[in-house]
Amino acid sequence: MKILVPTKRVPDTDQKITATADGSGVASDHLPFVVNPFDAIALEEGVRIVEKLGDDSEVVAVGIGEADYVQQLRTALAMGSTRAICIECDQPLDPWNVARLLKEIVLREQPDLVLMGKQAVDDDANQTGQFLAALLDWPQATFASRVELLAGEIRVDRETDHGIETLRLPLPAVVTTDLRLSEPRYASMAGIMKAKKKPLDMIPLAELGVALEPRVEVLRYHSSETVRRGERLRSVDELVERLRQDVGAQA
Amino acid sequence: MPSVSPAELMLAAASQPLMREVFGNIPGWAKGLFYVVAAVAVGAWAYGIYRRVRLWRQGKPSGGVNYAAALKRVVRDVLLQGRFRGRPFASLAHVLLFSGFFVLLIGTTLVAIEHILADLLGRPASDPVFHKGLYYAVYELVTDSFGVAFLVGCTMFLVRRLRGAGSFAKTPADVGMLVLLIVIGVTGYVVEGLRIIHAATPLPGLSPVGYVTASLFTAAGVDQAGAGRLHFALWWFHAALALGFIAWMPYSRLIHSLAGAINLAIRNERLGTLRPISMAEVEETGLIGVAKLEDFTRQQLASLDACVSCGRCQDMCPAFEAGKPLSPRNVVQELVGVMNVRGVGGQSAGGSGQEKDSGLPLAGGVIGEETLWSCTTCGACADVCPLGVSPMGMITDLRRFLIGDGALRGSPATALQKTDRVGNPFGLPQKERLAWAAGLDVPLVKDNPEYEVLYWVGCAAAYDRRAQKIARSVVRLLQAADVNFAVLGPEERCTGESARRMGDELLFQQLAEQNVATLGEHRAKRIVAHCPHCVNSLRNDYPQAGGEYEVVHHSQLLSELVADGKLPAMPTTTAVGGSITYHDPCYLARANGITEEPRAVLAAVAGQGGGNADAGALPIIELPRNRRETSCCGGGGGRMWFDDAPSQRVGRGRVEEIVGSGAATVAVSCPFCLMMVGDGVAAEKPTMQVRDIAELLAEATLGPESGAANGNTPPSA
Repeated sequence: MKILVPTKRVPDTDQKITATADGSGVASDHLPFVVNPFDAIALEEGVRIVEKLGDDSEVVAVGIGEADYVQQLRTALAMGSTRAICIECDQPLDPWNVARLLKEIVLREQPDLVLMGKQAVDDDANQTGQFLAALLDWPQATFASRVELLAGEIRVDRETDHGIETLRLPLPAVVTTDLRLSEPRYASMAGIMKAKKKPLDMIPLAELGVALEPRVEVLRYHSSETVRRGERLRSVDELVERLRQDVGAQA
Repeated sequence: MPSVSPAELMLAAASQPLMREVFGNIPGWAKGLFYVVAAVAVGAWAYGIYRRVRLWRQGKPSGGVNYAAALKRVVRDVLLQGRFRGRPFASLAHVLLFSGFFVLLIGTTLVAIEHILADLLGRPASDPVFHKGLYYAVYELVTDSFGVAFLVGCTMFLVRRLRGAGSFAKTPADVGMLVLLIVIGVTGYVVEGLRIIHAATPLPGLSPVGYVTASLFTAAGVDQAGAGRLHFALWWFHAALALGFIAWMPYSRLIHSLAGAINLAIRNERLGTLRPISMAEVEETGLIGVAKLEDFTRQQLASLDACVSCGRCQDMCPAFEAGKPLSPRNVVQELVGVMNVRGVGGQSAGGSGQEKDSGLPLAGGVIGEETLWSCTTCGACADVCPLGVSPMGMITDLRRFLIGDGALRGSPATALQKTDRVGNPFGLPQKERLAWAAGLDVPLVKDNPEYEVLYWVGCAAAYDRRAQKIARSVVRLLQAADVNFAVLGPEERCTGESARRMGDELLFQQLAEQNVATLGEHRAKRIVAHCPHCVNSLRNDYPQAGGEYEVVHHSQLLSELVADGKLPAMPTTTAVGGSITYHDPCYLARANGITEEPRAVLAAVAGQGGGNADAGALPIIELPRNRRETSCCGGGGGRMWFDDAPSQRVGRGRVEEIVGSGAATVAVSCPFCLMMVGDGVAAEKPTMQVRDIAELLAEATLGPESGAANGNTPPSA
C-alpha cells in the first residue's frame, strides 16, 4: 500500500495576516508558516492506515514550493511519513496547475491512494483534489470524515450539508479530508530531529516536463479591518432586551 | 524487677567484673558452624546487593556526587529519619523499627569486633577486651531498650498491615518479613533471659526485658542446667532466623534501606528542576527521553528499589484524587516490575523467569499515555516520599519519549505547536505582547535602559483577558511605589516552562536560549514575575541554559513594598467584602518555598497588622491543605492546555476545598491557578471572588482602576 499525501504550506492563521502595501501578495516577513491543517489531517490518517497495516506500506508526503518548504516536509516526516518529495517551484500556482504537477508525481509513484486536504486555509479554493481525480480519471470522494480500507477498495464517509454520505471506491482513488477525520499528532523538534534520516527528494519543476497554464490571475490583495464591538451590560434582563431589539432590527 | 540506682550501678561497675561471655554456652564446634552459616548468609546478602547494584549501574551516570552534602543528607534523612510528614502512626512505627534495628545492628557489630579482637589477642572468654565494666552496663541497657523499640515498631506495622486499610502495599511477603523480625526480636529476649539464668550474669537488671524473661523462666521452674540446654537450642533458632533474614534482605522490600539511603544521599533535592538533555547526545543517538530502563540515571534506577510501595505519594497526588488513571506509586512499581522481569540494559535481574514479559514499550505501554499526561508536575509525590523517590521526574522523562515519538494530539499539541511557531502557547502575535498595558504607560527596556527591576509579564498576563488584570495591578503598584522597572514587551517569549514539563525539552531549550540572549542584551539582573511557573523556570531551569538572575515573585516584592511603607496607607474600607482564603500555588509554595510573603500581602489587604486594626480586620481563613501541603489547581505540567471540562480537571477536589472554606474571596498568586480555580469556582459557587493578590492589594491601596466600573471589568485592549 502506498499513500500519497500532497500538502500545502500556508501562513499561520492565528497571526494577523496583511497584504503588502502594493497589494501584490501577503506580507510574509516574520509570518510563521504551517502545513495546511486539512493536509495535516490527511497525513495523520495516512500514517494511521500504514501503522495499522504494519507491513512495508508507505506514506509519501509531497510539497510544491521553494527551499523553505523543506521545513513543512520535515514536519510531515516527523509525523510519520516514510519519505517526502519537494517539487522546486518559485512561481505562484493556481489549483489547476497544482493538480497537473501532482498528476506527474502520481504517474511516477503509482500510489494506491491519494489522500489530501479538502482545501487549503489560505485561498480556500477546494479544487485541487477534484482536478487531480479528473486528470487521472480516478474515482474521488471529497470531505471524508471516516475512511476504511477494504480489499482493493476504500469506504468513505463524506460530510455533506444533509448528513453523512457513505461511498465505496475502487482503488486507486483520490480522497479529500474534512476536519473530523483525525487529530494530527504533534511533530516536535525532537521528532523532526529523529526523522532527519528519512529521504527527502527535491525535484526541479523542469524535470516534470509540465508547461504551466495559469488559469487564475490574482489582481490584488487587500487587508480588511475587523472591528470588535463590545459593550458591558448591567443585567441579564438588559441583555435579553437588547437581543430582542437587535433581532427585531434585523428582521 | 529490682531497681538499680545509678550509684549502685557505678559501684558495681567499679568493683565487680561486670561482663558477659561472648558465645557463652556455645561449644567450639557450634561456634565454627555458626561462622560457616554466617559466612554463607553474608555471602547471599552481598550477592543480592551486588545483583541490584549491577542493575542500577546500567543507567546513565547521575553526575558528580558532593560527598559532604551526601553525608549531611544521610545523617538528616536516614539516621534522623527527617523526611516523614503525615501518617503519624506509620511514621512512629518506622522510627521505632529503624532506630531499634540500627542500634541492634551496631550492638551486634560491636560484639563481633570484641570477639574477633579477643581472638586475635589470644584472650580467654572470661577476659573481654572492651565488652565489660561501665561500657558493658551502658551497652546492655541501650540494646535491651532499643530492642523494645524494634519490637513495638514491627508490631505496629504488622497490626496496620493486618487491619488492611490504607494505600500501602499488602503482600504476603511483607507480612512474612514482619513476623520474622518479631520472632527474631522475641527469641533474642528469650535467649537473653535463659543466658542470665544459666551464666548467672551479674547485675541482670541492666537488661530489663531479659531480666523479666529470666524471672518468668525461673518462676516456671527452669533451673540453671535446664536453662543451659534450652539456651543452646533457642540460641541456634535465633541465630538461624537472624542469618536467614540477612540472606533474604536484599531480595525483599528491605532492599529499600540501602537503595533509599543511596537515593537520599545523591538525589537532586530541588523540586523545581529537571534533568537537562544535551542536544549533541540527541543528535548522536537519535533518542530522546526514556525508552528503556537504562535511559534512566543510576540514581533513578536505585530509587526504584528504594520504593516500598507505601502509597504516601498516591495519597498526595491530585490527579489520583480526581480519578485520573495516575498513581505515582503504581508508576514506580510498574517500572520495578519491568526491572525484575526484563533486567536493565541486557543485565538480567536473575528472577525466577516465571513472570511473563508484556513486551510493551515503557512510555505508552507499561505506563499508559493517559497516565503520563495526567501529571501536573505539582511535585507533591516527590516532596512527600520519605525515601526521596521522584515519580514526577520519571514521568517527565517518559513524556520526553512520547513527545519525540509524536504521541501527543489535540489541544496540548496545538499549544506546543503555537509556542514553537510564535513564542507563546496562545499562538497570538508577538507584536501584541503589550496589548494588556494599554493606557498604563509601561516602559520597555529599550526606553528605560537604566531600570532596576525587570518585570517578566509571562504569556498568560500578556494574552489572557482575565490574567491581564494581574499585570495591570502589578504595574499600578510598582508605579505607585516608584519602582524603577521595565518590561521586555515583544522581545519576551514563553519561558518554555510548560513545554519542558510536558517533555518537549528541545522546544524549551530553544526558548531558553532566545530569552537568555534577550535578557543578557538588556543586562537583566533582578527579575520580578507574578507567575510562579515563570519564577521557577527563570530560577531553576535557566541556570542550565546559562542564565543566572535574582528572580523574585511579585508577592516577595509587594510584601517588601508594604513593609517599607512604599504604598499609600490603606483606606478604611477594604476592597474585599467578607473573609479571604488563600490557595498556595505548587510552584511557589512547594517548589520554591514561598509561603509567607503572599500571606503578608493579604494581611495588609485584610487590614491586619497595619494601622487599621481598629477599623475591623477581615478574617483570613487557611485552607486545610496549605503551604507546602497545598494541592494543585490542575494547571501545572502542561495540564493548562488540555481540554478538560472543569468537572474532569485534576484540581476539582481543590476547588471543593476552596468553596468549602466559606470565604467570600479566594486569593491566588499564579495566573494558571487564577484560571483553573476561577473556572472551577464559577461552576460551583459563582458568588465567590477569585483574585490575584496583586489585584487585591492594588484595589485596597489605590482603589479600583480608573475607568473600570468594578473589579471584573477587563481592560480595554
